[in-house]
Amino acid sequence: MTRSVNEVTALAVKAARGAGAPPAQATQFGAAAVVHLCAARDVQALDAALDAVPAGPIMEYPLALARIAEAQVECIAEGAFEVDAAALARSYIEALPCQASLTTDHVLHLDLNRPAARRDLPRIELSDEVYARWSALAAKLLVPESDASRISGAGAGLTDNY
Amino acid sequence: MKDIFDAPPQVPLRPTSTVMRLSRMGSMFPTRLSFLRSLMRRLASERAEVIRRDWQMCAEGFGHAVFSVDLGGYTYSLVAISTDLPPEMRTDRVIATAWDSAYVLFDGIPDADEITRIKANAPLQEAGRFGPRDLILSRANKSVRLFAHVAEALRAGRQPDREMIAEVGYLMRTTAVYGNGKFGIADRASFDTRAGLEGPFAAEMLTVWLIRHFTHALVEHVGQGTLDRETKRHLGIGNSTGLGMAPFLVNHPVLLNNWMLVRETALSRVLAVETLSEAQKARIGVLAARATRHLAQWNVPDPAHQARIETLRIDWAESVQGLSADKLGVPNALKSAMHVAENMSQDVQELMLSLLIEPFGDLVDGLTECMADPYGAFAPPLSDTVALKAQIEAEFDWALGVDYDASQHCGQFWYVSEAKMEPRLGLRFSEEGAGLESPLDIARRVARAHSDLPEVSEPVSAFLARHPDHALAAERVALSQRYPYAEIRDNLIAESCLPIDMLRCKLSFFGASKFDPKSDRWTRITLCQGAPLADELSEGRADDWWLPVFGP
Repeated sequence: MTRSVNEVTALAVKAARGAGAPPAQATQFGAAAVVHLCAARDVQALDAALDAVPAGPIMEYPLALARIAEAQVECIAEGAFEVDAAALARSYIEALPCQASLTTDHVLHLDLNRPAARRDLPRIELSDEVYARWSALAAKLLVPESDASRISGAGAGLTDNY
Repeated sequence: MKDIFDAPPQVPLRPTSTVMRLSRMGSMFPTRLSFLRSLMRRLASERAEVIRRDWQMCAEGFGHAVFSVDLGGYTYSLVAISTDLPPEMRTDRVIATAWDSAYVLFDGIPDADEITRIKANAPLQEAGRFGPRDLILSRANKSVRLFAHVAEALRAGRQPDREMIAEVGYLMRTTAVYGNGKFGIADRASFDTRAGLEGPFAAEMLTVWLIRHFTHALVEHVGQGTLDRETKRHLGIGNSTGLGMAPFLVNHPVLLNNWMLVRETALSRVLAVETLSEAQKARIGVLAARATRHLAQWNVPDPAHQARIETLRIDWAESVQGLSADKLGVPNALKSAMHVAENMSQDVQELMLSLLIEPFGDLVDGLTECMADPYGAFAPPLSDTVALKAQIEAEFDWALGVDYDASQHCGQFWYVSEAKMEPRLGLRFSEEGAGLESPLDIARRVARAHSDLPEVSEPVSAFLARHPDHALAAERVALSQRYPYAEIRDNLIAESCLPIDMLRCKLSFFGASKFDPKSDRWTRITLCQGAPLADELSEGRADDWWLPVFGP
């Protein structure tokens, strides 16, 4: 069964949040995760990153990218950026909303004034195991409804035949 | 934004501190920039035709149908499934598991296998599974009382009671319109470069308009008669909308910025018009009178909201005196009219805005091309904590100086419910779950980041390395450099926060009217009321349905 990109992005964000990542870092992980999966890179790198929270790539890559970006001069920035064997770092770069390119000697160039080129992301095959694991993490954020919230939530009464 | 070159003259934009307050957003009305209006103009420009390709419906109106329409060189089909729902199962609540009807907007023309697949899955909604050619998933329940009455009247060879048509205004109301990849349907990014579907929620609006067309066909099938044109035109599509929609505006700051900026730019262009032609003056007079009639026909059961509408009727009657032919004959008359409205309620001000831009399609319609967000949110980072602090104090001053530990300033919390995985709002001091709070507390986050900033400047990345929880705040502050209208300038966890205001803002951009709040957390609305029928797209009236009214 294939899944939509948005479906997998949302699940990855929630999984990262469930693993303990703060919201901004979780969102960046979600964007990188779909790029990673669409590029058929090693899915275990994503699981490992989730396991490593509150340390590891989910916390470190956004900071590393921020360090390079904040040294910008007139919106152009560059700096050294190491790519891991599983290429999750590369997925983070490719998920950036601005133009970014990585040289063979691991220098990252950013143009903070130009949006990244749109890329066609295909449907994603996510194994049942990965889906279940991420869903379990995501479920850590869910709150059981109370009677009060149920009554005051959306919709009408128990039946609505107006 | 486009239109940078040869842009028409404009007066200064209304400040964000005025525009981006929740109470004002909760006073908004649909405009000609609303997504349904843009879609109708597009369909009309292409002289689109709706074709009934399949109609397998029993005498009682249960079965399936397929309607197709060409737009921008593509064919889209609404697959509609109508089922016999026991009354005790009919609920608009998100907890429902069955509905009177279910829909898929399909990319192309579905063959028999696709129809069979959709018939098996669409009635299941969230429990079903969908594919990349399923663009939108929706469902709707009947207004049983009106549907039965209309069918019965038609069966008896007469038209339905006009008072009932005016009172209810729709045969069915949708309770969800899902897009962008939910439950496996197509990602918006897979079709948002197609002509006609580039705008925000364009595919959703196309679906809603086709559902309305289906409801008309269904009641005429069951009643074995034909509705008169005016009645049919006034029958829109109802909608029940709750908290599920509210976080969208917070989670999509660039979209919010673009929508509000376009709306404000439209107003500023119109207010820069110095003199009005006779035709423009006459048009404004017609629209002012229509608004008065619309307000007179807008009645809701909730006493507090009905009282607000009645106050608006009185205030509006006073404010339209500034739109008389002689008043419009002086230079800068529109600016004067808006200036007078500024001394009245926010409801009057926002209705006046909506009216004033209506006659000026040539000036403002092109702006709608700037309402999408094709690139995603990004802005140059703030280089150090001094810059971060300065930007917070410049753009988030409204969030500072608040005691976020005091119950009145943090009495509510947003969360996602276990039962339906939908956003909810809890009471922090009387309900469980605040530890799993969703990050919609932007004001509090920015204030806390501000209070943790070091006295000596350092790179923002160094600050975030010590305070990773402040990354979201830093990101929002950075975005404020480029997107001034991106932030709702109110504390969304305060006891006083009314989510209904967020709903009304978003729904007004859809083109909704007849807001009918059922609590401060959910509302009924009507979409497509007064919109052109499928066979009226080439008649030149496709763009004249601002604030629909019923009757002569």
